[in-house]
Amino acid sequence: MNVLDIRNVTKTFGDFAAVDNMSLSVREGEIFGFLGANGAGKSTTIHMVSSLLKATKGDIEILGKNIAKFPRFAKANIGIVPQDLAIYEQLTAYENVRFFAGLYGLRGSLLQERTEEALEFVGLGDKAKSFPKSFSGGMKRRLNIACAIAHRPKLIIMDEPTVGIDPHSRNYILQSVRKLNEMGCTIIYTSHYMEEVEEICTRIAIVDHGKIIAEGTKEQLKAIVTDTKEIWIGVRSEEGVGIEALRSIPGIVSARIDDGMIKLQSKAEINNLNEIIQQLIRSRADIRSVEEQAPNLESVFLTLTGRNLRD
Amino acid sequence: MRNDWLWLVRKNLTLILRDRKSGLLHLILPIAGVLLSLLLYGNTNSGTLHIGIANNDGDVSIAADAADYLSRLEKVEVTMLDEAKLKEKIASREIDSGVVFPAGFSEKLKHGEAPAADIVSIRGAQVTAYVGAMLNEYLGNTAAIAQTSASNPELFDRLYEDFAHSGYQVSSKTLRDSSGKKDVTYQAIGFLILFMLTSSYSLTEFMSKERENRTFLRMMSSPVSSRIYVLANVTVNAIVLAVQIVLTLIFMEVVLGIDAGVPFGELTAILFLFALAAIGLSLLIVSFSSSNAASAALSNLVITPTCLLSGCFFPTDIMPDAVRRISSFLPQRWLLDSLDKLQGGERLSDLPLNLAILVAFAAAFALIAAYRLSRKDNTGQFV
Ligand SMILES: Nc1ncnc2c1ncn2[C@@H]1O[C@H](COP(=O)(O)OP(=O)(O)O)[C@@H](O)[C@H]1O
Ligand SMILES: [Mg+2]
Repeated sequence: MNVLDIRNVTKTFGDFAAVDNMSLSVREGEIFGFLGANGAGKSTTIHMVSSLLKATKGDIEILGKNIAKFPRFAKANIGIVPQDLAIYEQLTAYENVRFFAGLYGLRGSLLQERTEEALEFVGLGDKAKSFPKSFSGGMKRRLNIACAIAHRPKLIIMDEPTVGIDPHSRNYILQSVRKLNEMGCTIIYTSHYMEEVEEICTRIAIVDHGKIIAEGTKEQLKAIVTDTKEIWIGVRSEEGVGIEALRSIPGIVSARIDDGMIKLQSKAEINNLNEIIQQLIRSRADIRSVEEQAPNLESVFLTLTGRNLRD
Repeated sequence: MRNDWLWLVRKNLTLILRDRKSGLLHLILPIAGVLLSLLLYGNTNSGTLHIGIANNDGDVSIAADAADYLSRLEKVEVTMLDEAKLKEKIASREIDSGVVFPAGFSEKLKHGEAPAADIVSIRGAQVTAYVGAMLNEYLGNTAAIAQTSASNPELFDRLYEDFAHSGYQVSSKTLRDSSGKKDVTYQAIGFLILFMLTSSYSLTEFMSKERENRTFLRMMSSPVSSRIYVLANVTVNAIVLAVQIVLTLIFMEVVLGIDAGVPFGELTAILFLFALAAIGLSLLIVSFSSSNAASAALSNLVITPTCLLSGCFFPTDIMPDAVRRISSFLPQRWLLDSLDKLQGGERLSDLPLNLAILVAFAAAFALIAAYRLSRKDNTGQFV
């Protein structure tokens, strides 16, 4: 059974198509990764799925029912974790979760139970009576999640839930995504961090310019990358490395330097390691390590678009 | 549906009760307005009535005699001024009332016409009526002489001479028994109108705030409809304004013992009708604004100036005719007009036109706002 079906959906703002004839299905029990650079159209897609935006063209179905025809049914079965915090600063953590869960018709002792459960779930059980202003960024994000799950939706959509938070909260969130999935929730996880998508998602769609350019398990996606290889070279100092000179070496597709690590992408069939090393020696770089990386989603993205995900 | 509505109403009330600034805005300010009105008018209760007279009809005229007559009344002090100065002094509250005799006033009177002297008061209907009555007492006699002498000017002059120098009885009625308190009420309501509009706007604008902090987005992704959402906001708005009205009136009448000159229930009822118009206006402002900043700017542009125009701070009597005509298009004018009439002894049931107009304002504003808001939704402005 498909939890979500998006069929030929387009959303235009003026004459700009933020989502361009997109089709996509999410099956029950998946953790579906929605990977794309900033501005790719991820949030716009999510807003259409949650009925916050009307699609310009196309159909969307939740659990087999068209959301335009059955908006209440669709909304009742979704929990959305917005990209930006959506909580009341003047309400306690408990009151926030209780209020939003109440919008789904829960009342009384059941509401209380679910509220406590959701707070417990995101690790804020002992902070129920505190106001969000005393929370760290990560705690606020966790509260943001609790507000979306207390009514136990079938489909939880998380829009970049880990942007700008500490590693501890980030791990906590990734873990809870897995736990929610084990409890039977289908999850759509949106991110522009390929590492976390790679880590937790069972299936991934890569979006670019409002279109899905690749879709599949991570193994399937990585199989796309047969023609490029990734070489990482650790150097002691980034100074005078001469990235431009490296780029002009035959076969090099891209080169960048990231925290003392030169990351090169090169055509697989050309053996240019010698020239690379020679160039680095000429520029007096102090080489500490050289390793060839297995293909990752980053290289998939690069292969497909010719750009880096972070750019 | 009803369940959703109550849930949202409850949340909004909680948020308002938690916000200390809102208590100040909704409740303390109107009470401060009452105190300020008391300061402005409360202590002039037993004093002298200062009347300014601008006589454009010449020094030797019936108008000049009428001015002289007024100056001899007990507890009345007359200053002769030109018209511009007169309006200035009324605006600065140095005089309570002004009378303007137009040129040709005496001539018309002699020919049996009934020329109108312009009476303007800072203190509302009560004072105007008093000055008018005193003036009529004098001019009424003169008019009677004119009637008798038909179109015989010599006969008129002789009769009038006799009358003017007959040492007429000067009325010694005590002046303005309760009018001071009515003035305080009138001014306090003037301020209350401003604060009601401000409160109502701030409560409506709460919806823009919820758009900004994204909680609106979350609510709209739940099964709650946007109509219920707006309805809940309006409900809370009406509740707060009702509390504001009742508390202000109780403070004025019970705590300070100021008699409004209007039954409590009728005053509350008409103010609540105005509250509905205020809510409609706020919805209109918010629905016509693309952002928080725009709606704040628009509200500044609308609320205070219309209050000024409609006479919340100064009586419209001192304003040019064109401005006075504009003010008939403002709900505030119709509330103040009702108040004037109620203080003049009429009952709410005597004022169906005023009531209907206030309701019409509320309905028209709300309908336009609903249309605007629904169009916004259709173009997907939720996010
Ligand atoms: N309301 C809007 N009006 C105009 N353009 C918009 C609107 N919302 C989003 N966009 C544009 O659509 C594109 C996709 O945005 P978004 O879906 O937020 O991207 P993502 O979430 O993948 O970062 C961006 O270029 C953005 O500027
Ligand atoms: Mg986004």
